[in-house]
Amino acid sequence: MANFKVIGRPIRRFDALSKAVGATIYADDYKMPGMLHGKVLRSPYPSARIVRIDPRRARALPGVVCVLTAADIGYAKMVADIPGQTGQRERPQSETPVLAWDRVRYKGEAVALVAAETEEIAERALELIDVEYEPLPGVFDPLEAMKPGAPIVFEPDNIVARWRIRKGDIEAGFAAADLIIENTYRVPFVEHAYLEPEAGVAWVDERGVINIRVSTQVMEHFRTVARTLGIPQNRVRIQGAFAGGGFGGKEDITVEVFLALLALHTRRPVRLAYTREESILAHSKRHPFIMRYRIGVKRNGRITALQADLIADSGAYPYLSPYVSLYATVMATGPYRIDNVWVDTVAVATNNPFTSAFRGFGGPQPCFAYERQMDDIARALGMDPLEVRQINYLRTGDTTATGQVIQSAVLLEESARRALEALGERTPDHGPIQVGRGFASYFQSYGRLMWLHDTSQAWVGLELDGTVVIRCGAPDPGGGQLSSLCQIASEVLGVPLENVVAYTPDTALTPLAGTTTATRQLYMSGNAVLQAATSIRKTLLERASKYFEEDPDDLDLADGRVFIKRDPDRSMPLPDLVRICAAEGLPLAHLALFKAPFRDPIDPETGQGDVFPDFTFGAFAVEVAVDTETGQIEVLKSAACHDVGRAINPAAVIGQIQGGSHQGLGYALMENLIVENGEIRTPSLSEYLIPTSVDYPTTQVILLESGTGVGPFGAKGIGEPALTPVAPAVANAVVDAIGKPIRELPITPELVLRALGKR
Amino acid sequence: MLPEFELLMPRTLPEALEMLAQRAPDVMPIAGGTNVIPDLRGGRYRPACLVNVASLPELRGIRQEDGFLVIGGSVTMAEVLEDPIVAQFAPVLQEAAKMLASPLVRNRATVAGNLANASPAADMAPPLLALDAEVELASRESIRRVPLKDFFVHVRQTVRQPQELVTAIRFPLPPPGSRARFFKVALRKADAIAVVNGTVRVDLTENGRCQAARIALGAVAPTPLRAYEAEHVLESQPLTPKDIAEAARLAGEATRTIDDIRGSAAYRRMVTEVMVRRTLGEIAYGEGEN
Repeated sequence: MANFKVIGRPIRRFDALSKAVGATIYADDYKMPGMLHGKVLRSPYPSARIVRIDPRRARALPGVVCVLTAADIGYAKMVADIPGQTGQRERPQSETPVLAWDRVRYKGEAVALVAAETEEIAERALELIDVEYEPLPGVFDPLEAMKPGAPIVFEPDNIVARWRIRKGDIEAGFAAADLIIENTYRVPFVEHAYLEPEAGVAWVDERGVINIRVSTQVMEHFRTVARTLGIPQNRVRIQGAFAGGGFGGKEDITVEVFLALLALHTRRPVRLAYTREESILAHSKRHPFIMRYRIGVKRNGRITALQADLIADSGAYPYLSPYVSLYATVMATGPYRIDNVWVDTVAVATNNPFTSAFRGFGGPQPCFAYERQMDDIARALGMDPLEVRQINYLRTGDTTATGQVIQSAVLLEESARRALEALGERTPDHGPIQVGRGFASYFQSYGRLMWLHDTSQAWVGLELDGTVVIRCGAPDPGGGQLSSLCQIASEVLGVPLENVVAYTPDTALTPLAGTTTATRQLYMSGNAVLQAATSIRKTLLERASKYFEEDPDDLDLADGRVFIKRDPDRSMPLPDLVRICAAEGLPLAHLALFKAPFRDPIDPETGQGDVFPDFTFGAFAVEVAVDTETGQIEVLKSAACHDVGRAINPAAVIGQIQGGSHQGLGYALMENLIVENGEIRTPSLSEYLIPTSVDYPTTQVILLESGTGVGPFGAKGIGEPALTPVAPAVANAVVDAIGKPIRELPITPELVLRALGKR
Repeated sequence: MLPEFELLMPRTLPEALEMLAQRAPDVMPIAGGTNVIPDLRGGRYRPACLVNVASLPELRGIRQEDGFLVIGGSVTMAEVLEDPIVAQFAPVLQEAAKMLASPLVRNRATVAGNLANASPAADMAPPLLALDAEVELASRESIRRVPLKDFFVHVRQTVRQPQELVTAIRFPLPPPGSRARFFKVALRKADAIAVVNGTVRVDLTENGRCQAARIALGAVAPTPLRAYEAEHVLESQPLTPKDIAEAARLAGEATRTIDDIRGSAAYRRMVTEVMVRRTLGEIAYGEGEN
């Protein structure tokens, strides 16, 4: 299969047209007969004791069917950890009350649930639930939260997780340095702002199984629901839908447990859909980090030591903070060969909105710091920013800070060079407008932590007419995951793409394929489909070899036919071959299980060990114009160059990269979830601004295809990596323009003027 | 959630004014609804009754009348953007309308509503202040015309009484030598509330002297305002860089800014000065010559 027929072709995704014309049915579009409407009562305080909850007035309201408080659900807690994986140790603080009963720890925490005949009645019922709060002192700054005497969010202290890397001899490394660059960087809370707020419908079916049709990245949350409700795991069914974006915000459980509880207590279908404002209040945020970096460097540009102290605000509940802070730790050095590394990371509980997964999962925050540091080093040494990086870039066969050997191609230099070249001629300064250029390199893992024992399953089957069905429980939140699976099956089985159907995930119908997170779905489920399709291909070719009296290796499948490679006119339509196989009882369907490589956890004292299956490498370059009088920044040009291993569908890959680039530009310049004393001051999309289609010009995309990834056909992952280098590249460009350092995000006009000393 | 209210659908202006008179004060006129509906959802006010004035024939259209340009009370931003009379006599209104919200909102939002809502950051207020606009307020009993500079009372407060309806906005056609430019500083390029907005208008004589100047600013005080002292510096003078700088400085001084999530008071003041200076420069010397 050297010459691909379908792989590598920029095809229109099968889901594209129906999304464009509004025909796609999303989770919130389902209606059920007799359906009730759910609502959630949320805490108005970031830190308070609940003195009393009295739902009686709400229950008495006509049209209210059910009001649930913690007392009605046995003070249930849910484990906000990674479901459906083994190998992780359960953390003592990872339990979150489903509904608060004695304390609320963040503003927006759920306190009660209502189901009513109409949404209006449910809304009114919320106002009739009497909750008496006694406000308590809260802690809103991770540095404050670590001090003795700070209010404790959870006993025994506010430390949610600690990670460390100890590699080489840090003191000797700094002693060998000619220069030490030390700075502190800060990045803000960020909101996912997906198009589709959280939504779902649940009902109990005739078997007594709770069905939940929901917008999610994680089908395996059926396990969390079952455990929380104290029912067997085979009694909860999750039906996925195309999700209107996730970006990690739908990795944690959202509406699922609430829906299950209301459906179980009312025995009627229940719908629950958050408004935009409730979505912003209720789901996780990207972690703010405070990052102190010390890098020692020789006069010739070689880095001798790197020390990083990373402090992440975990908010009021742990959720995935321990994992996000681990990722940040592992990627803290950037894609550089450094012999002496010392990293201390701590995730700290506060009474702020809780933080968890967000595209990049702890990768983008340190990238901002280490790539700003690299430019500072270049400036201090009088070297070109690319030159100083070239001296230190990782290469294939080098080890990361955790001692993991990089196996795949490392196209760091080429990607940086190509991205910078794509910017073309430099725009001149004019008057108070100063133009600057910057770039950033990065590495970002794809695939899960190897001690999670990650697997994906896919079922592929041929119908008698030669068409193909894929059953694979991979949620598609908009990345084109299912469409890519179709391309893989089409390629392997020689079936026209339009003859392949992939079903939307449903835990009752599609084999479990794991989460659409960690940039793992093409890697894991792509390989599972590849395995399943290859198994069927083998059956077909072996049977055809008897028919043609040729060796199976001399046969091929393409365009719905089996044929002899050296004499393609000698062929048979695929349906004829399928019928022959079926008549003989040969297997025309296959369920494949793809296993990522498994390893033991890293050493907790030194952080040494293999962590991820592989990494993606690339660069982002940008030219900006800074108005030195108003502080406003105009993005003039940008280019992204990533080694994606193999672009299964280049159109989808370019879409991912352009989307990630613009999400990254928003992170760099605009997006700022302002939280003051635990209160979100930007509670809607009128205050929390994300880029519009007119804010930044289209990012040029350059695809490199080393073919060395661990995904199907050598593909690497690109979903999260696309965002990672963008913000530091922009910051470097602004610094190039104004000649003053930038050490925080977002780079607002006021921040620019402050950097210029004008304020 | 949208609270319950009674929705009245008058077919004529007298009918609408009768409804407003009978239901006042617990009544709110609605046309595009781009402010009223979010405010109802947000609980800012809860009138028992809304009177939909969007399709009243008397409120439609843009016309020239007795030396005035008259914008009907239900004219939308999209209509302003397409109107040839506005393009000819007051293109600054189109500059501002183009910067207001998004195409979807502009298809519904009305000029009258943008003023009556009385946001300090209303994008249509500075250009209309600079054009010496008047607001026509009609009730069952009477019609009065209020200069726009006297229309705004405070944040989200105007002189409009609950039984009154903004039936039109009008302004005298500017003389041939009049030039006006709108500026807006916001945290993104579209669909964003202004950090600072404003309009600078200069009426020049044939020999290049400034006959009259208007500097109107938004988002820098509880109401949109005129920077009168800055205007005086320019009047009866040729536009020199020195006078422009002084007018810009005085415009900055005229602000009564506050800190909010979009910007600090100091930033607003500073940027006001920059933008007034630049805009005056563009008017005096052309684009990019400041």
